[in-house]
Amino acid sequence: MKSRSLTAALFASPWTVSFILFWTFPLLYSFWMGFTDYQLLSRHAPQFVGFDNYRALLGDRDFIASLKNTFIFVGGTIPVTTVVSLVLALLVNREFRGRGFFRSAYFLPWVTSMVVVALIFTNLFERGGYVAMLAQMVGFEPPVNGFLYDRGTALYAIMAMDIWMAVGYYMLIFLAGLKAIPDELYEAAEIAGASSWRQFTSITLPMLRPVALFILVINSIKSFQVFVEIFVMTKGKFDTSTVVYFIYETGLQTQFKFGYASAAAYVLFVIIGVFSILQFALMRRRQAAW
Amino acid sequence: MVRRRTLFGQVLHYGLLIVVLAVMVGPLVWMLRVSLLDKTVSLTAQNLLSASITVANFTDLFAQSDLARYLFNSAFVASVVTLGNILFCVMVGYVLARRQTWPSRILFATVVIVMMIPVHIVIIPLYLICLKGGIYDTYWALILPFLINPVGIFLAKQYIESIPPSMEEAARVDGASELRILFRIVMPLCKPAIAVLAVLAFITNWNSFLFPFILTSSEDLRTLPVALALLQGHQAIDWQHLMAGSTVAVLPVLVLFFVMQRQVVSGITAGGIKQ
Repeated sequence: MKSRSLTAALFASPWTVSFILFWTFPLLYSFWMGFTDYQLLSRHAPQFVGFDNYRALLGDRDFIASLKNTFIFVGGTIPVTTVVSLVLALLVNREFRGRGFFRSAYFLPWVTSMVVVALIFTNLFERGGYVAMLAQMVGFEPPVNGFLYDRGTALYAIMAMDIWMAVGYYMLIFLAGLKAIPDELYEAAEIAGASSWRQFTSITLPMLRPVALFILVINSIKSFQVFVEIFVMTKGKFDTSTVVYFIYETGLQTQFKFGYASAAAYVLFVIIGVFSILQFALMRRRQAAW
Repeated sequence: MVRRRTLFGQVLHYGLLIVVLAVMVGPLVWMLRVSLLDKTVSLTAQNLLSASITVANFTDLFAQSDLARYLFNSAFVASVVTLGNILFCVMVGYVLARRQTWPSRILFATVVIVMMIPVHIVIIPLYLICLKGGIYDTYWALILPFLINPVGIFLAKQYIESIPPSMEEAARVDGASELRILFRIVMPLCKPAIAVLAVLAFITNWNSFLFPFILTSSEDLRTLPVALALLQGHQAIDWQHLMAGSTVAVLPVLVLFFVMQRQVVSGITAGGIKQ
């Protein structure tokens, strides 16, 4: 028995090592760094500075702006992505010719590398590009320098691209949720003479609640960390910097202010943590009310 | 639920499907078309529709840039990481599925917790670890931290739990070692789960940008996404070549996705259903 425990520990060791080395240690390390003035190129050893970094962040206009942009990004993309992906799921849920083809095609953006997607849309959003042409067709005057070179539109353009990229993925998760709803519920509703709309609001939506919760949580964890598209498309200019972009800029790009950037990372960590917990609590309470 | 649809309903349905299709696939078709467009031709709608097709942008890139090197880096790193994921995730998943002891439970809890942790907040400590550990700007930095991942462990554990342990027990009675049981019995039985976690690991790592970008600095170690993102800043590069490079970066995963669609979909939905 002893030897079997040893084998088990040995088999589990890749995760144990990885968990300690690449997760626990970095998290503790950056927690500590957040309370120091650690700077890579500095001559002196890191000094403990208490909450100085956190206080400085509150007064840092760049940080506050990146925080604001991150919230706009999350608050703007998540509701739209969730609704659109549900609509897509309903569109391809029923049996029809070519269903598999449409499902796969809608999912393609997600399989594509974010860098490539960002490059494609950088062109599409350019002055005189295809999105500008479409905008003009529906009577909207596009910004003179292109969508990505305008403070009023840059962030929203990137958000639109993100929605485009993500809906296929969440559609798949909604589809799995739809498949899990027992047919008997609809049959009973049919016999009772409920309309399609009534069936949708009284059966489909409530039954999808756990899946919707899952989607909200994973999407907000992901969206709060938006970085790659910002890096490729605007380099944080035109009011598009986000918190992770701020961390990269202050921590790794030129200044190597590890202490300061780590504090910013922890602010984001706490925000994401609070959001996830809130969503869980909210959804659970609603479920209990049903 | 089967419900008869009117002709009007069907036309409307297909109309919507096709509009969405155009929106979802249009940008990718655009990429492909521009990559095949002569570099001297402007990107007007008329040219995209009528100008002739050329592969010159691709041959240029392979001849005059390090695209082949970047392609190799992407393929090498993603393959090694995928192999590591197959071996380690099944190994750990096996222990977590079969042992009901408290260390095993705690370990599984750490897997689930890490699945929820936002990875981007550890970029600075991870950068420092690689720097001080002497693997910064080497292939090791691109591989080591990603050899095992919690989603893969989760998938493997769930799958192994669904297999009855009778074969393993029989082998154990016959005196087979645990290592032999793992490789000769568990691994072969796990093939469907392995296909799922392998294809997800490959696609994720092939497309990965942030970590390869911050954990390396030399040009020789750039993967395709890193090379493309850094190319874009240069004035010298035109959209035709940039899209040709993008096509090279996208095509392998598109092919992989079409071949292994079922696995990709079940891997994505497994997490969603379990919650």
